[in-house]
Amino acid sequence: MTKQYYLRLSVIVVIIGLCIYQVYPPEKKIKKGLDLQGGVHVVLELTETAQDEKTISDLADRALEVIRNRIDALGVTEPVIQKEGMKRIIVDLPGVQDPDKAIEIIGQTALLEFKLVSDDPDLFKSALEGNIPEGYQLIYYKEKDERGIYREGHPLLVKAEPELTGKYIEDAYMGYDNSGFPDVNLVLNKEGAALFESVTAKNINKQLAIVLDGVVRSAPVIRERIPGGKAQITGRFSVEEARTLAIVLRAGALPAKMEMIYREVVGPTLGKENIVQGFKAALYGGILVLLFMLIYYTAFGLLADFALALNILILLGIMATLKGVLTLPGIAGIALTCGMGVDANVIIFERIKEELKAGKSPKAGIDSGYKRAWTAIIDSNITTLIVGLILFFLGEGPVKGFGLTLSIGIVANLFTAVFVTKTIVDWVMITRKIEKVRI
Amino acid sequence: MEFIKNPAFNFIGKRKFAYIFSCIIIIWGMVILTMKGKSIFGVDFVGGDMLNIEFKESVTVSEIRDKIKGLNIGTYSVQALGTEGKDFIIKSGPGTSEKILEAMEIIYGAEGDAFSVKGKSSISPSMSVSLRKKALYAFFLGIIGILVYITLRFEFRFAVGATLAIFHDMLFVVAILALTKKQIDTSVIAALLTIAGYSVNDTVIIFDRIRENIRKTRSDDYFTLFNKSINETLSRTVLTVLTTLFVVFLLFFVGGETLHTFAFSLLVGFVIGTYSSVFIASSIIIDWHRWKPHKFKV
Repeated sequence: MTKQYYLRLSVIVVIIGLCIYQVYPPEKKIKKGLDLQGGVHVVLELTETAQDEKTISDLADRALEVIRNRIDALGVTEPVIQKEGMKRIIVDLPGVQDPDKAIEIIGQTALLEFKLVSDDPDLFKSALEGNIPEGYQLIYYKEKDERGIYREGHPLLVKAEPELTGKYIEDAYMGYDNSGFPDVNLVLNKEGAALFESVTAKNINKQLAIVLDGVVRSAPVIRERIPGGKAQITGRFSVEEARTLAIVLRAGALPAKMEMIYREVVGPTLGKENIVQGFKAALYGGILVLLFMLIYYTAFGLLADFALALNILILLGIMATLKGVLTLPGIAGIALTCGMGVDANVIIFERIKEELKAGKSPKAGIDSGYKRAWTAIIDSNITTLIVGLILFFLGEGPVKGFGLTLSIGIVANLFTAVFVTKTIVDWVMITRKIEKVRI
Repeated sequence: MEFIKNPAFNFIGKRKFAYIFSCIIIIWGMVILTMKGKSIFGVDFVGGDMLNIEFKESVTVSEIRDKIKGLNIGTYSVQALGTEGKDFIIKSGPGTSEKILEAMEIIYGAEGDAFSVKGKSSISPSMSVSLRKKALYAFFLGIIGILVYITLRFEFRFAVGATLAIFHDMLFVVAILALTKKQIDTSVIAALLTIAGYSVNDTVIIFDRIRENIRKTRSDDYFTLFNKSINETLSRTVLTVLTTLFVVFLLFFVGGETLHTFAFSLLVGFVIGTYSSVFIASSIIIDWHRWKPHKFKV
């Protein structure tokens, strides 16, 4: 008989070892969610609705590629970029350094257009009065005021049809213009170069506006025919802005306009605060539960405490193995596991108390206590597990993390609170020849 | 150690008080809820922006409110975190937080110098529609899952008793949220489901004992028998919820702002869940029995 207990004991020891191996060191092995490490989460949606489903889905696929290229250029570690449904794209950038820049890079349509500026002052004047001639449009510069905030600047009257667009761009990189200000250098492909050459040849001494997402960036005067497909976009950029622009131009424009329907930025300080507060609450709560069980049930309480500690260890071990993401509500889920995890032991111990009161011997009382409590434990775990799994599979972000830790905690609890404690009790009963039990 | 030695409370006898108490709270809460309308829902269900700003120097809520008022951006709310008057959460309509940030920069100085943005989020109305749908879907699936389980596990009248107790608990929590001016968001839905899943356990344990006692005594005096069963399982009921309340208490008081409403809902829900297990669930079956007598199978 003792052989069987040693087998069970060694199963427990092996599991403890495995879990420690999987979890240690926890700060590296447990993946943290955006709410704990800071970062950016955005959801983009195609605003296109007129086209058929297939076209929309294809547009979203192409947009996803463009966004992926842009993010690769940003150099974020472990970004998650995925399509949701037909026309949504979810982007997760954990631990990104400059969230605002990241959002700008992802969200920009980056539609670059070269448009001819009308050189007729009368036409311009009447356009300003509201009579915009057929085939023309008014567009505006974007200007920074003294506080660094962008405002709509002065207008230009341009031909609505662009001479050239960003789809001919082969490469784009930041450089400096003659006066030492940052600019963006463009290299056009063969087709683009030919177009650019003919446009410049035909329009010498006219202004060519460089328009990005409907806003004028610069409008240089064409002095001569420009062969070779090289162009610069100047326009009072900061180094950072020029770099960002080069990235999005290189990755290409989004194939359609996308709206950012969800945007969440968690700064690193907030992430740290969340960890500290969540961890503190879980730790203090856990300690309170451990103390309570110890005081209320003494030796059996110690047993339950050991089972609880093991419960949490296994929970973390499974989290690390499954590469599950720990979120702040996930930490709350771990804390709840502490509170709910001892329930199974309470149910067992209370049952043993009743059995002993009814006059059973310690061994018989314990055995029937465990046996009779079993269905109650399954009951209490199953409904919570249903909820945990639904929150994991249907929930998003933080709530998903809660469902995850809650579900794993419950499954681990069945093992620790019943199998582990029973094994230890049996082992003690056999080796110590105990005749009286206080509980 | 034993908290309660051989308890013999007349729980079922007090059921009328429990019914009245629960009805008052729930109806009161629901009235407030309907009066408030949309504003009871958090930004993730109606769309909107949220800013979490920390100032270098102390500022007052009313000061920030005054500054935002001039922007004409519709409804908004300012909430101070902590006691130092530096940490604030500003909620406003979708796409308006950038305007607030610009105004803050003009009034207080550049971001990074005078204040820092700890976190911000913006949820468009179209996104909130899908978040709402998803939450409702998860909610009903969870409730159906629990109900199916209870129905399989117990005979019809017990299943109805447990089900009504679950709905009682959830309505009670929502009522308390409305009364305490808290907002219902995704985390509250998660909390409600957790409450339903966890609180039904006490009820299940009591029902199990009732069944066991019916089998043992073959008595038809259900009133006495139900009371006896509730009392026999009382220490178990109290102890299991007590350990869980320990951690929920700490989540509420130490867990920080992000978990505030979630932990609060759990706190109320677990207490009420225990109360309804003891006072409501079995009482419904007793009243049903008095109205239309029924012999329970064993």
